[in-house]
Amino acid sequence: MTSMKMVEVPLQIFRYKEGERPHYDTFTVQVPETAHVIDAMDAVWAMHDRSFTFRRACHHSSCGSCSLRINGVEKLPCITRVTDVWDGRAPLRLDPLRNFAIVSDLVVDVSSFFQRLSAAGMAITRDAEPSLPLSVDGLAVIGVSPKPVELPENLSCFNRFENCIECAICMSACPTMATDDKFLGPAGLAAIYRARQKTDNPIDVAHLLGMADGEHGVWRCHSAFECTAACPQAVDPAGKIMALRRELIGRRFKKR
Amino acid sequence: MATLNYPKIRQAGRWIDVRRRKLGMWAYALNRLTGIGLVVYLYLHLGVLSQLARGQSSWDSFVSLARSPYYLALDVLLLAGILIHGLNGLRVALTGFDIGVRAQKTLFGILMLVAAVALVAAALKIFGG
Repeated sequence: MTSMKMVEVPLQIFRYKEGERPHYDTFTVQVPETAHVIDAMDAVWAMHDRSFTFRRACHHSSCGSCSLRINGVEKLPCITRVTDVWDGRAPLRLDPLRNFAIVSDLVVDVSSFFQRLSAAGMAITRDAEPSLPLSVDGLAVIGVSPKPVELPENLSCFNRFENCIECAICMSACPTMATDDKFLGPAGLAAIYRARQKTDNPIDVAHLLGMADGEHGVWRCHSAFECTAACPQAVDPAGKIMALRRELIGRRFKKR
Repeated sequence: MATLNYPKIRQAGRWIDVRRRKLGMWAYALNRLTGIGLVVYLYLHLGVLSQLARGQSSWDSFVSLARSPYYLALDVLLLAGILIHGLNGLRVALTGFDIGVRAQKTLFGILMLVAAVALVAAALKIFGG
């Protein structure tokens, strides 16, 4: 049996607790060479400091809860290998996401992110899941019914926002978000775009495009494209913002 | 629950924080820096023009200063700002119309190459006479 090769990784971690000054603590942990950054963070918590707070759940880029900045760049530590981001010398720096209030250490208050999705009518599955058995292609997985489950007509509004895992990385990467709290941002505008695709109802369309065309809508974007570059799920929020602009411009020309 | 929020002025520093960022962020930062630079220039220009109101001798002394190599170097810097801001603005406008969004990095590269060539030609003209 071959032994697993271990590496000693120094982690420089942003620390903040209520009533204390923010600072960095450095810990060195031993992890397998194939470990992901989240494993090194777990090791810090287990071996060094139980007051170290961070979010994590799925460990496979599905929940989006562990998002943070590794060496200044937004990443999901659950799918980022230590050896891919650590140069072997300087400590690996971990910071919380930008553009959100910091609650404790690497935990930020992402409520503003979800408010933006809700504004577009993109309900989050875990908040609004209908009380139906889970189903695959309309067939019940849980429960005994062999016939297709009767789905409500408006189920589509409960669907998850497709590829988006609600990690909020796009809002952290966006430089414009830094100075405009009310900017709908990449996530909010991509959600509006998706909601717009789903409807031709003139009232809904007017509402959605009205939001996108507002003072804190698509025109606030200054084409840094960092949201698209940082998104771990290829949602391409910047592309959606540009597509919304195209529709808005097209409608203005049609009006004349 | 008391959360930590950084002041806006500190957050504005993120406009030009290009460390480990992609090309689009460099374009964004360059547009902010050149934009601010051009606004400052506009006020300086108005200040310089006010010399005209102080009579011929005042204006003549300014003109002799404006012919010095140091001042001409500032002209080249101004041109650099105009070219970068203008051509990058063209990229922003095109992508804003949903044109060339996927090729925005290439677009930026081409436009900055055009800016560099134009700047070299202008610098040669300014210093070469």
